Amino acid sequence: MNAIDKRDRRDRYAAGVMKYQDMGYWQPDYVPKDTDVIAVFRITPQDGVDPIEAAAAVAGESSTATWTVVWTDRLTACDKYRAKAHRVDPVPGSPDSWFAYIAYDIDLFEPGSIANLTASIIGNVFGFKPLKALRLEDMRLPVAYVKTFDGPPTGIVVERERLDKFGRPLLGATVKPKLGLSGRNYGRVVYEALKGGLDFTKDDENINSQPFMHWRDRFLYCMEAVNRAQAATGEIKGTYLNVTAATMEDMYERAEFAKSLGSTIVMIDLVIGYTAIQSMSKWARRNDMILHLHRAGHSTYTRQKSHGVSFRVIAKWMRLAGVDHIHAGTVVGKLEGDPATTKGYYDVCREDFLPERLENGIFFDQSFASLRKTMPVASGGIHAGQMHQLLDLFGDDVVLQFGGGTIGHPMGIQAGAIANRVALEAMVLARNEGRDIVNEGPDILAAASRHCTPLRQALDVWKDVTFNYTSTDSPDFVPTTSVAG
Amino acid sequence: MRLTQGTFSFLPDLTDEQITAQVQYCIDQGWAVNIEFTDDPHPRNTYWDMWGLPMFDIRDAAGVMGELASCRKIYGDRYIRISGFDASHGWESVRLSFIVNRPANEPGFALERQESDGRRILYSTRAYAAQLPEGERYS
Amino acid sequence: MAATLMAIPPDAADAAPAAPGAPKAVDLRADFEASGLPEIFAQLDQEMVGLAPIKRRLRETAALLLVDRARQRFGLAVGAPTLHMSFTGNPGTGKTTLALKMAAILHRLGYVRRGHLVTVTRDDLVGQYIGHTAPKTKEVLKRAAGGVLFIDEAYYLYRPENERDYGQESIEILLQVMENQRDDLVVILAGYADRMDRFFQANPGFRSRVAHHIDFPDYGEEELLEIGERQLETMNYRLSPQAKAVFAQYIALRRGQPHFANGRSIRNALDRARLRQASRLFQRDEGPLSVDDLTVIEAEDILASRVFAGTPDSQTGDSQAGDRGTPS
Repeated sequence: MNAIDKRDRRDRYAAGVMKYQDMGYWQPDYVPKDTDVIAVFRITPQDGVDPIEAAAAVAGESSTATWTVVWTDRLTACDKYRAKAHRVDPVPGSPDSWFAYIAYDIDLFEPGSIANLTASIIGNVFGFKPLKALRLEDMRLPVAYVKTFDGPPTGIVVERERLDKFGRPLLGATVKPKLGLSGRNYGRVVYEALKGGLDFTKDDENINSQPFMHWRDRFLYCMEAVNRAQAATGEIKGTYLNVTAATMEDMYERAEFAKSLGSTIVMIDLVIGYTAIQSMSKWARRNDMILHLHRAGHSTYTRQKSHGVSFRVIAKWMRLAGVDHIHAGTVVGKLEGDPATTKGYYDVCREDFLPERLENGIFFDQSFASLRKTMPVASGGIHAGQMHQLLDLFGDDVVLQFGGGTIGHPMGIQAGAIANRVALEAMVLARNEGRDIVNEGPDILAAASRHCTPLRQALDVWKDVTFNYTSTDSPDFVPTTSVAG
Repeated sequence: MRLTQGTFSFLPDLTDEQITAQVQYCIDQGWAVNIEFTDDPHPRNTYWDMWGLPMFDIRDAAGVMGELASCRKIYGDRYIRISGFDASHGWESVRLSFIVNRPANEPGFALERQESDGRRILYSTRAYAAQLPEGERYS
Repeated sequence: MAATLMAIPPDAADAAPAAPGAPKAVDLRADFEASGLPEIFAQLDQEMVGLAPIKRRLRETAALLLVDRARQRFGLAVGAPTLHMSFTGNPGTGKTTLALKMAAILHRLGYVRRGHLVTVTRDDLVGQYIGHTAPKTKEVLKRAAGGVLFIDEAYYLYRPENERDYGQESIEILLQVMENQRDDLVVILAGYADRMDRFFQANPGFRSRVAHHIDFPDYGEEELLEIGERQLETMNYRLSPQAKAVFAQYIALRRGQPHFANGRSIRNALDRARLRQASRLFQRDEGPLSVDDLTVIEAEDILASRVFAGTPDSQTGDSQAGDRGTPS
């Protein structure tokens, strides 16, 4: 199978510069092993650079190669360690870019380490000069490697059991304004929203410990609010206390404090880094806490189709790293989100086995080998009037977060929360009764609002709010009539 | 106070016709249907008393509604909930759970605080009704 | 091929006085076509040999229900009709198969919501100890809700000789449900005709709640032969001409013997013939086997039966008095 046979070895390892494809990084006949990690990159070579050579270069730079031949390769089983570009397809509708499939031997990676996996796959190669742009579209992670990760500490099912909430999406709201509230005022928003009918409230990504509100103060007031709301409704409530901080020591301290106050959940931001995320996941697992991840910063590298890392890959990594909640887009809200692409993200979070679905940007069959499921979170510019669309798009296992859509209600935060909860329950009831919620949605909401003034007000205020912009990240594929599957 | 556990507690109490539709939905999903009752509404009271075993292998909601009627006859003064249980791999838990009967009067919960170090407070939620012995709470 | 109801004149319902808002007339034939019943009757004709009186009864019942439904639209109905039935006849005469069809018919006409059939016997309904029977019976009723409950050998529910028998408890629950939940399920009681008669005499509650009695005659010899040939056909076997003649003799003899169970006995006899064919082929020395060799049942495969020696063929297959198998 290997391209280089004995006779050629002297030439292959002669000092100097040679093409990556001649060094063995292009193997069109290679059949990936079940245990290989496979990555598919969207490559945009510099003008005049052969796409195959570009693919081979990506394989080389993300595994064993450097710009020149090194004799020390011969001290290793280098044929095994070399990544193998084995397939290059033109991107439909995009003449200067290609999808390159590259297989990596499992022994290239440290078990259970997202940091190591990503240092290889997206380490050096994204700055490589012969490429104008490079994007990691998807990865097939073999079961053998998936099994080296613990995955979400709680998972969707156990979270629901712990909260005693079944059969409907969970409801949340991010406390607004994001910045400036004192601990005492912040807790007021939490209490109003939870008492009104939400299941969760949430710190925003940049609420940590600033001059206007120190973390400890916030935690104390928030837990007073949570417990008051729990007693007022007889329901379990929670608030994602953001423990993101400058150092691991600080984060552990904050998380321990949240636990000692009886919180069910803590939250972290993606910007803390993969190692810190995995550390917090281990902490959450040890302490029976739900771990919420806010994907702060991801759009810097996920949004553009030509360069960066697709969010579906980030979502896969985060499920392995072990988070219980992850923001995954709303489609209808204020932030980027093509429906088909977003469905792909949700499937990555929630399915145990995900078949190849090019229309959703899923390039490979992916088994998660019974790893627990991550609850996706839809947040940003959504309101009660979209409930039928949200339920239809995302199903039951999602947290719908209405920040402005709760706190901005003309009759106050409790009224906003009631409106959302009534809209949601009415829609779930109607769906279960077999009604066509996509088309009858507005009628169902109108009927529900007859016995709920806050919902009627919400529908009036926000009835015309939509965010219809073209998505920048949609899947590129040619629909085929193939029935294989 | 209205206890808002369960999927449909923010809607007006469901009619029997509406309950039948939800039960039929559970059956059509292949879930077993379970009837439970309690007079201890504490949010962490997981184990309500079961009205018989979960109903597996049924095709029509009528059987469940018959059981619900019998349950109401005896425990009509308490909370009764219906849940759908999904035994398929990767779930193996409750899928839908909603209250179908509640006491005429719901006195709610007291929140008790115990001050601790560093302004920390330990909270306990106590149902007013649960101060009486089981069986005497809502009659 | 098109199955027809009995000769219902298209204007049969014309004379009815029209209630306000009700349609002026109904087209029964269109109703019939729209109900999906023609398919079921066509299937019935195709799949089941003989049974002419039964098929006629089924059509009559369907006609009655169809007319009832039409009457409802004119406001002429007198409450939900009683649909509980009794199917009487010897084992293997097609009672279970017909019950399946009946469930489908009732479902198409909207008299049961799901149209499934739950088949039970006394053991499924009656418990072993005090407090066991009611939950068992209710469990069965819950499973059958929305469909048809077929109680085979229903008379075993009633054991007057044992005064502490729990069957009576089950009977009382059944009677209550048959009376009060007529929208939820239809009960078919089945068994031997004579024993069912005695059962109904002893239990007037059942007699008054069962509106339709259908008696299943035994199959004639020619029908049984045809049944046998159809069974073989579905398994890709056939009888040689000699074997067919011998099998006809077999049927004549077997029918006179005890424990004869119509279609089921035929199936058992053919199962044994296939066994003998296999060992015959296995012991044969001649060259390779052709498709024909593998397909054809020869006279000797049947003649080896003990029936021809004057003893019952086998006690194992047909000896249960029950009628739980699938007659074909």
